[in-house]
Amino acid sequence: MKYTISHKTAYEYFESVGVCHNIARLLPRDTATQVCISSSVKIFPEPDVLNQYVDFFGNKVIYFSIDKDHDELEVHVTSTIEKIAASILSALPVSSSTYIELEKDLNLANPESAEIRQYIFQTPMTVWNTAIHDYALQSFSKDRSLYEAARELTSRIYHDFEFKSGVTSIATPLTVVMKERKGVCQDFAHMAIACLRSVGLPVRYISGYIETISPKGKEKLVGADASHAWFSLYIPEMGWVDFDPTNNLIPGDQHITIGWGRDYADIAPLKGIILSSGSHELKVAVDVKRES
Amino acid sequence: MAVPCSLLTAHCSLLTAYCSLLTAYYFLLFLVFLRPGVTVGRNMLQLPSIFTHPPFQEYLKNQHALNVLLGDDGRLDANWDTFFQTYTNLGDEEIIARNNDIFRLLKENGVTYNIYGDPSGLNRPWKLDIIPFMINRTSWLHVEAGLKQRAELLNLILKDIYGDRKLIRNGLLPIELVYNHAGFLRSCSGIQLPGERQLILYSADIARAPSGQMWVVNDRTQAPSGSGYALENRTTMTRVIPELFEGIKVRHLSPYFTSLRNGLIAIAPHQNPDPRIVILTPGSNNETYFEHSFLSSHLGFTLVQGNDLVVKNNFVWLKTLGGLEKVDVIIRRVDDVYCDPVELKQDSQLGVPGLLQAIRKGNVTMANPLGSGILENPGLMPFLQSISRYFLNEDLILPTIASWWCGQPAEMNYVIEHLDALVIKKIHRSSTGSSSIDGASLTAEKRTALIERIKSNPALYVGQEKVEISYTPSLIGDNIEPRKVLFRSFLVANEDEYVAMAGGLCRTSSEPGNFLISNQLGGFSKDAWIITPEPDKLNMVSREVSEVKESNYGNMLPSHAAENLFWVGRYTERILGNARFLRTVMQFLAEGNKLKNYNNVQTERSLLVAFTHYSYCYPGFAGEDADELFADPWKELKDMLFNDNRSGGLKNNFVYFQRAIHEVRDHWSTDTWRVIRSIDEKFNEEISLFHHGHLRMLQTLDDIITSMVAFIGLNRESISREQGWIMLDMGRKIEQSLLLISMLKATMTETINPQVEYNLQQSVLMSNENLVNFRYKYRSPIQVSLVLDLMLFDPNNPRSLTYQVKRLKGHLKDLPKNHLRIKETEYERLIEKADELISSVDKAELCLTDPETRNFVALEDFLNDMGALLSGIPPVVSKAFFKHEQPARSIVGG
Repeated sequence: MKYTISHKTAYEYFESVGVCHNIARLLPRDTATQVCISSSVKIFPEPDVLNQYVDFFGNKVIYFSIDKDHDELEVHVTSTIEKIAASILSALPVSSSTYIELEKDLNLANPESAEIRQYIFQTPMTVWNTAIHDYALQSFSKDRSLYEAARELTSRIYHDFEFKSGVTSIATPLTVVMKERKGVCQDFAHMAIACLRSVGLPVRYISGYIETISPKGKEKLVGADASHAWFSLYIPEMGWVDFDPTNNLIPGDQHITIGWGRDYADIAPLKGIILSSGSHELKVAVDVKRES
Repeated sequence: MAVPCSLLTAHCSLLTAYCSLLTAYYFLLFLVFLRPGVTVGRNMLQLPSIFTHPPFQEYLKNQHALNVLLGDDGRLDANWDTFFQTYTNLGDEEIIARNNDIFRLLKENGVTYNIYGDPSGLNRPWKLDIIPFMINRTSWLHVEAGLKQRAELLNLILKDIYGDRKLIRNGLLPIELVYNHAGFLRSCSGIQLPGERQLILYSADIARAPSGQMWVVNDRTQAPSGSGYALENRTTMTRVIPELFEGIKVRHLSPYFTSLRNGLIAIAPHQNPDPRIVILTPGSNNETYFEHSFLSSHLGFTLVQGNDLVVKNNFVWLKTLGGLEKVDVIIRRVDDVYCDPVELKQDSQLGVPGLLQAIRKGNVTMANPLGSGILENPGLMPFLQSISRYFLNEDLILPTIASWWCGQPAEMNYVIEHLDALVIKKIHRSSTGSSSIDGASLTAEKRTALIERIKSNPALYVGQEKVEISYTPSLIGDNIEPRKVLFRSFLVANEDEYVAMAGGLCRTSSEPGNFLISNQLGGFSKDAWIITPEPDKLNMVSREVSEVKESNYGNMLPSHAAENLFWVGRYTERILGNARFLRTVMQFLAEGNKLKNYNNVQTERSLLVAFTHYSYCYPGFAGEDADELFADPWKELKDMLFNDNRSGGLKNNFVYFQRAIHEVRDHWSTDTWRVIRSIDEKFNEEISLFHHGHLRMLQTLDDIITSMVAFIGLNRESISREQGWIMLDMGRKIEQSLLLISMLKATMTETINPQVEYNLQQSVLMSNENLVNFRYKYRSPIQVSLVLDLMLFDPNNPRSLTYQVKRLKGHLKDLPKNHLRIKETEYERLIEKADELISSVDKAELCLTDPETRNFVALEDFLNDMGALLSGIPPVVSKAFFKHEQPARSIVGG
């Protein structure tokens, strides 16, 4: 399955900006289920500096800066992705391993366990309280299959929380989301991550895209107007397994990964610093097109 | 400003907590720690007769304190013997006098320490105890070797954590201890400085136990502070009381600073042999700002703030008056997460956007590198020994304090079970102060809460054994008393090895029973004497002042410094102008037995309103309830003079003046500092008085005026005529012009009656110190045409508007502008037009009144036009040269 993704971010500044420095994590990385065939970035105005490198988590990063006065900024990334064997992978037998097996994996003093363990720690965006921890405990126990429990949690979040844009921002704490039971995909991913970490599980935040125009007869998926987010849990024998609480499903062919981190802050699609005293308007347009 | 660096504050937190304990089991302890074979007691020791002097009595009562003065043979240590011989020979009176000299010298040199959260805490004078802390040769050799080893070890750990992470992969360091630590910056992973070493600067706080054992209490690896204070302490000691060094071979500090400079040059990118090195400071509110500026001038490195620097084309540049200058090495005094808002703390205004990119590209290096805060981690302590075996194949020379990291179940249980005997620390310091807790000091409730916190996040907690700290003699008032002391050492990486300063900074507790050693809480500092008998290191006091490399400040004034100098100039004239006008007004009001006739009352009112407009002390006498104030104007005038919160008030202006002065503190001579302090003291003295008679207030104004004139005179004499001077003088000329315009507008554009107008014109002349000039020049009664001729057009009168405009034009012409675009030199057009206007205006017409309103409309128009042109200059200059007008803001995109 091949996709072409167009991701356009446009800022309009109400007062001219003298300098800007930006970090974009918009280039999809290769994963077990996808190959990034090509990616191109168009930035307007033409940046004075553009550096490309790979970050701590292995994600592709673009840094660019513009030194001249400008009133608008547009970042347009076009990528072509080949999804490989995603559906085959997702059809693989489900592991019944529990926390006890996981603990054994984690306690091995090897590079792999270190890689996994780093995703257990609380981060500023995944702070939990008793309510969140209790919410997790409804699905998790030491001897229950991790896969089963995570699948259940995914479904519970889908049913218990209302998808509503505009009520939360990236600064909204999870405790508020838990109380209000409303949010967007980033909130749901963070909520699931906080739940899983509160019971000691290693879990990644995944940033990516989702194909929203589904084959006829199937329901349209949520997440069209911007980038999408979900989570990935490490399960012994299976490795990292993705779950999408926004759509209540196990990501397959229709999910395209940009990259991952411990939370949104590690893999924010675009962030930057501008020297300006004025405000701005932001427009984001994402288009995921199936090529074959 | 939210200043992050808590450099000197937090390091004693371990000690703070359990001081209360000391008194309780002190008696037992001292028995334990006595050296075998020594019977302590005054009678048994052959103490020199000096100890019978009264100042020592208090100290000798404490036998434990006495113990530290003894050598291995149980007798008074030879160096202390020599020291106290000299000390007693000088005599008590002399010592007290010299002690006062020390205090005065430090004050005059502007050695200060800022206290956060205390409005009067800015620029608190530094305190230095005349009695040093001594470390003998044997002890020092051990400590030095131990510190060097520890620095090497921490360097290897740092390199590993941001490199291969072998320690984690091989199980020598738990991942939770590193990855959970706020100082672990993932974006710094993979960045390596050129050269062998990543940890360039290292500081350790060392406590000496009564047994003589030296303990490293804290590691400082981010932006260690104190070396400048240590040098200042030594310089002060050698200057004020050189006699004390006689017969004692004290090592010098200067080799450390030479090594520091070499070490920093060595890490310059692209092997640049002559790198430009800057010191990055959070600003003048930072607690150790004095030191930043001191080191800057001592080492010849430019002192900069984040917004002085800019990242362009992956290089770091210093914004100077003459354009951008490339920066090679940055010594940072800003905590690492604040250094780059693009990749680290997004809302930081103290950093440089894009800095990490330039670092990653290897175009600039930073000491210490970003991310080195990971080593300020008490959780590392239990692992150091095995890491030392792993990396160096050596045992630790300086043992670490027994510590238990709660991330391991057995250790956590131990800590919880032995809470009373331990100090509990978090693995990283919180930004909100001390995070150490004495287990024994807790109430049952708090104890349970702490145990809960540990259990819910064990990897964040460490339990540490309490260490006992020995006393040292300190001069407190007239007596010598025992005080506990903490010694901070400084090391710098050189090509072959770490070099330790043969000395350091000592801080003592403010009270004998209190072990809160912190500069934030008072207490003294001490010079640290490393005693060495090497023949080539003779005690040569004069050599201690090491050579100062010529600073390249002159040709590259940072724009931030330029801006502050400009504002010092403006505030100088603002204070002076306001003080003189206020004095004139007060004098008129105070003239005794004055007839309350119409003219006098009207003049009074006009003056009070004019002063309100002039000073911008609104509403003042221009507000709605002015009539009430006219009845008793003194209360309001007093408020305008002394209320430091009153915008436009004299004290308020002085506060801003001082702030600007401190931002560029290395520009002022010692004499200048004395003048600045005298004004400050004058204000404080007057404000503290309950009663303010009219004469007293006038006297205060006289004093302020005299001091401000002295300030200007000293600058004229001591500041070299380079860019800094241009900025300062330009600020003055702009302010003088604008003030004069505003005064003339407020006093001379209205027709009232001849007598009142005469009074007002006389006030203008008086307020501008021009009454004598006038009489001398015109020998004629005061009248509009002549006043305007003198104040506006006389090219030889240094207070005339023409004079200011000409000078301003000259200064603006001298500004470097090769790097500017055409529209950025708009100030040239403005000053040219102002010059044309004042040269071509019809003087006679200015003295005519409008037939309808009877006011001096032509004069008013002219003053408005001049005002508009001249007040247009500062914003243009600011945009072209200061470039701070736009704040850094973060943006996000979905």
